[in-house]
Amino acid sequence: MQNQLKIARVTMNLTQQQLAEKVGVTRQTISLIEKGKYNPTLKLCLSICHAVNKTLDEVFWIEKEEWKNAEN
Amino acid sequence: MQKIRDERLTLKNLNNIRIAYIIQTLGIIGILGYDLATKGMSGMTNNPLWVVFIITTTLSAYLSMTISVEHESKKSSPKKGLKISLLVLVLICLAIGIIISLVDGFNMMNGLLLPGIILLCGVIPIYYIYHLRNKRNADLEDD
Repeated sequence: MQNQLKIARVTMNLTQQQLAEKVGVTRQTISLIEKGKYNPTLKLCLSICHAVNKTLDEVFWIEKEEWKNAEN
Repeated sequence: MQKIRDERLTLKNLNNIRIAYIIQTLGIIGILGYDLATKGMSGMTNNPLWVVFIITTTLSAYLSMTISVEHESKKSSPKKGLKISLLVLVLICLAIGIIISLVDGFNMMNGLLLPGIILLCGVIPIYYIYHLRNKRNADLEDD
């Protein structure tokens, strides 16, 4: 699923490895989340948001229409 | 070896274990099938793998019950379900007992033993499902 994680991470001057270490996952997981190929649990979403100082809305929210298009 | 904390890898690991379990079960079924074909029924049940197979199948069935009960969409009365299940079980056991007693070569004791085992094996899962339904209803009432 599409998200704004890459932008949020770059804004915080964090590498994928640094963010991964902060939230306790592997770099590959962060990479897959950024590409929209892995849907993280709410717990991991919150950890990521705390690490990049953003809200869930700012990082993971997508509009209904956009979401439907992504599903199809 | 480090403990895996990454949720994606944990999930992947569980999927791998599932694949390994399926292959292992197929292997056990293959070995037991070979024993059945070459040594007969008693040869198959004498194999220790038979015990492993029965234990894992029973465990898997009990674990599936928790999923099945949670998946039930209708809110059914646990007591009504329990009564119907027990009635059906008792009728099946009575029927089996009567048939066995009437067959040549079997005595009254055989007619009590087998239905008794079936009754015991049936009552445990029926009560377990009753307990699970009660628990689910209690959880729903909390909402």
